[in-house]
Amino acid sequence: MSNLKLRGIRKAFGNLEVIKGVDLDINSSEFVVFVGPSGCGKSTLLRMIAGLEPITSGELDIGGERMNDVDPSKRGIAMVFQTYALYPHMTVRENMGFALRFAGKPKDEIEKQVKEASRILELDPLLDRLPKQLSGGQRQRVAIGRAIVRHPQVFLFDEPLSNLDAELRVHMRIEIARLHKELKATMIYVTHDQVEAMTLADKIVVLREGEIAQVGAPLQLYDNPDNLFVAGFIGSPKMNFMAAEVVDRDNGKLVVALANHGGTKVALPIADSSANKGDKVTLGVRPEHFADAGKGDSDITVGIDVAEHLGQTSYLYARAPGGEQLIIEREESRDHGALDSLTVAISARHAFLFDAAGKRLR
Amino acid sequence: MSTLDQATELSPAIAARRSNPSFNLLALVSRGLVYLLLSIAAFVSIFPFIWMFVSSTNTAADVLTGKATLGNALWANIVTFFTTVDAPRIFWNSAFLAIVGTVLTLIISSLAGYGFEMFKSRFREKIFGALLLMLSIPFAALMIPLFIMMANLKLINTYAAILLPAIASIFIIFYFRQATKAFPSELRDAARIDGLKEWQIFLYVYLPVMRSTYAAAIIIVFMANWNNYLWPLIVLQTNEQKTITLVIQSLSSAYYPEWGVIMVGTILATLPTLLIFFVLQRRFVEGMLGAVK
Amino acid sequence: MAAQTKLERSEQINGWLFVMPALVLLGLFMVYPIVWSLWMSFQTGRGMNFSFGGFANIVRLTQDPIFLRALGNTFTFLIIQVPIMLVLALLFATALNDTRLWGRGFFRTAIFLPCITSLVAYSILFKSMFANDGVINDFLLASGLIADPIPWLGDPFWAKVVVISAITWRWTGYNMIFYLAAMQNIDRSIYEAARIDGVPAWARFWYITVPMLKPVILFTSVISTIGTLQLFDEVNVLTLGGPSDSTLTLSLYIYNLTFKFMPNFGYASTVSYVIVVLVGILSFLQFLVARDRR
Repeated sequence: MSNLKLRGIRKAFGNLEVIKGVDLDINSSEFVVFVGPSGCGKSTLLRMIAGLEPITSGELDIGGERMNDVDPSKRGIAMVFQTYALYPHMTVRENMGFALRFAGKPKDEIEKQVKEASRILELDPLLDRLPKQLSGGQRQRVAIGRAIVRHPQVFLFDEPLSNLDAELRVHMRIEIARLHKELKATMIYVTHDQVEAMTLADKIVVLREGEIAQVGAPLQLYDNPDNLFVAGFIGSPKMNFMAAEVVDRDNGKLVVALANHGGTKVALPIADSSANKGDKVTLGVRPEHFADAGKGDSDITVGIDVAEHLGQTSYLYARAPGGEQLIIEREESRDHGALDSLTVAISARHAFLFDAAGKRLR
Repeated sequence: MSTLDQATELSPAIAARRSNPSFNLLALVSRGLVYLLLSIAAFVSIFPFIWMFVSSTNTAADVLTGKATLGNALWANIVTFFTTVDAPRIFWNSAFLAIVGTVLTLIISSLAGYGFEMFKSRFREKIFGALLLMLSIPFAALMIPLFIMMANLKLINTYAAILLPAIASIFIIFYFRQATKAFPSELRDAARIDGLKEWQIFLYVYLPVMRSTYAAAIIIVFMANWNNYLWPLIVLQTNEQKTITLVIQSLSSAYYPEWGVIMVGTILATLPTLLIFFVLQRRFVEGMLGAVK
Repeated sequence: MAAQTKLERSEQINGWLFVMPALVLLGLFMVYPIVWSLWMSFQTGRGMNFSFGGFANIVRLTQDPIFLRALGNTFTFLIIQVPIMLVLALLFATALNDTRLWGRGFFRTAIFLPCITSLVAYSILFKSMFANDGVINDFLLASGLIADPIPWLGDPFWAKVVVISAITWRWTGYNMIFYLAAMQNIDRSIYEAARIDGVPAWARFWYITVPMLKPVILFTSVISTIGTLQLFDEVNVLTLGGPSDSTLTLSLYIYNLTFKFMPNFGYASTVSYVIVVLVGILSFLQFLVARDRR
């Protein structure tokens, strides 16, 4: 199983730079997820690792070897595509053995490998079918099987679950996690779905406009985002952002006033000296981190526009007196409906502060 | 459908017409006219085919006086046809040109259509634009220089002279490029990762996946080659080289054409395309429409 | 831009390898001849003895009665035959697009059938059918439509009628198939909505079907026009351009100039460029109309 090293990787189409210098280390057997909004360059980066897109500049090492100019089939990688990309004119068996056939492997060897992969993925009854005779989930399993058969050092997944319905997506997600445990291969997985990223990854790489916004373990990104972008991207529903202004610095605490909540003050344990009195900042609080009134550090009162009751959890879509929208999550809520007003508390230890450029103040 | 009828009942204009008996009569008459028109069209379309088969059983004199009933000269006509011309030879010539021409055209032109769509570059895109402009160059403008060229190359009266200018067909290149737009590029990506060279991707993935495109293209190209007339007329000069199209034309331009005999030849010339049409009717139509979509 | 990487280079090379065989052949057998033919059109002299003649050939065109005749005939065919054929094709397509029509498949196949014949074969059939005592005259006489047999291929007017009927017979079904395919792509619910709105059948045809078929109608008129400008096989079999050049076409005239008489390649090339220019103008017009639609 290989490790990967990316150094100063760039990609330009003519004058348009889509990957703007990526440095990244991926350890052997690690499950890494590239996540970001569409157009952030995550798929392009994956295709560059695969060798399907030439690298404009920078160095790509797989297993300690420079791979920039190596043919895709000789990089020790296998790839699973969003559209599955199964060869429509071949049976499942032929699809899975196709690469080995062109690697000049003997017939019985190919048969053995295909059998082994189909056992892992429970594809045995489907081996003689054509792709069009399979359901979406089965096709995706065949696509994964085709990857497994080659015993790659690195598995690449390009949004593999996007074409499946919600239920199958959960099922396949668990299947891929199980596979990673069983094969212990390095896996790189691209998705725009942060739930997939959180549940699968050992390490998440958040990409934004061709650059890495933050790299870290899932909970590290959740608990300790480096910037406004990552804070907003990781977590569902999204983190609430409130406009604020630094009003005081006191005893290693930074006091901010919330612009849309009548100047309600929140004192945060932030030592960062770059924030000065009068600076415009943004306060971030996750929907699940509002406390009951009086049980936090500062109370705010909002009006509820819509209440969604899902049973255990309720989401209250609320509006600040200044017009800002907030989502508040409540457990076992029975007594809040639309048009009510609600007072909740912000706890300083669950609040994040970002400067005007979106950088986290710690 | 029934809900739709109920909905139309609600429209006052139509409800008024429904209750009007003359409207129903009008509908009946117009329906009758449609069938009449279509029946005449169908008869006119089919009649020459019937005429062809009927006339092959008649003598030249009967054909010229418009005898539209079966005669008993069929065997005589066949015998005369096979003794005046070397029928197996000319049939073979036509078949050879049509089959070899079709195979070569499909290989070269589908390679180019695939190449233009899969490997894009601004320069190649400009070349393709130029090709589209050349699509409407009439053959009449090419035949003189082509004839001199073939004469200089000592290719007059050879099949090379027929085949060479036809192999790279802009129309078929365009047809394949259009069809390739529906070919998922992920298949090429997957095949590259599976270790196939570009020519292997073309041969082992593209070609089998695009079977139906090839089938439709085969029909168009085969038809065009089999029925080709003007260029072979210019280039092929000895009887041993001539195609069936050339032979029946020269028989028919005799001072006293042996019509019954010519009809035997015309049937032979029409039979292959007629068979293809009835066996592969759907593909046939697809092929004709293909390049437009 | 940065220097090309190895992968980019191999992508480029592969791209060229796929298109190169076709490009080489097209260069040799299309680009080179067409340029050469342009050069020849400014040359005079018999056979391969060329001498530069400047605009001599173009001047000769304007004074050549046979050329003017061929040009006139070609335009007569164009103006009369193409509209008749396209209107017929549109009518048949409309009738056959009705799913409730009994025998749809049969009518469609029958009307399409002429398309499978070779131009030479069907011209031979027509030549035999339009003989003086032939089956067409027999039928017309028997049905009382005419009193005396028509000298179809011997009369300048009737010879043109035969050529026009023949081409219409061969190509109407072909154009009909394009219209049918386009009609089947029109969303049926548009017609249903129009029926609910009380729009009568003729108005549905005129205000819905025809405008939506405009691109296809344009396409078929352009290919039919280009085809007619190049008309050769039919007239060469049916009439050889006669009687007295009344059915001579431009292509047939070029053929005669080159291969029948003492070859005059220069002048023949000039005539062929008349077709190139006409096709060019028509294609340009099509381009303009197509651009307007966007």
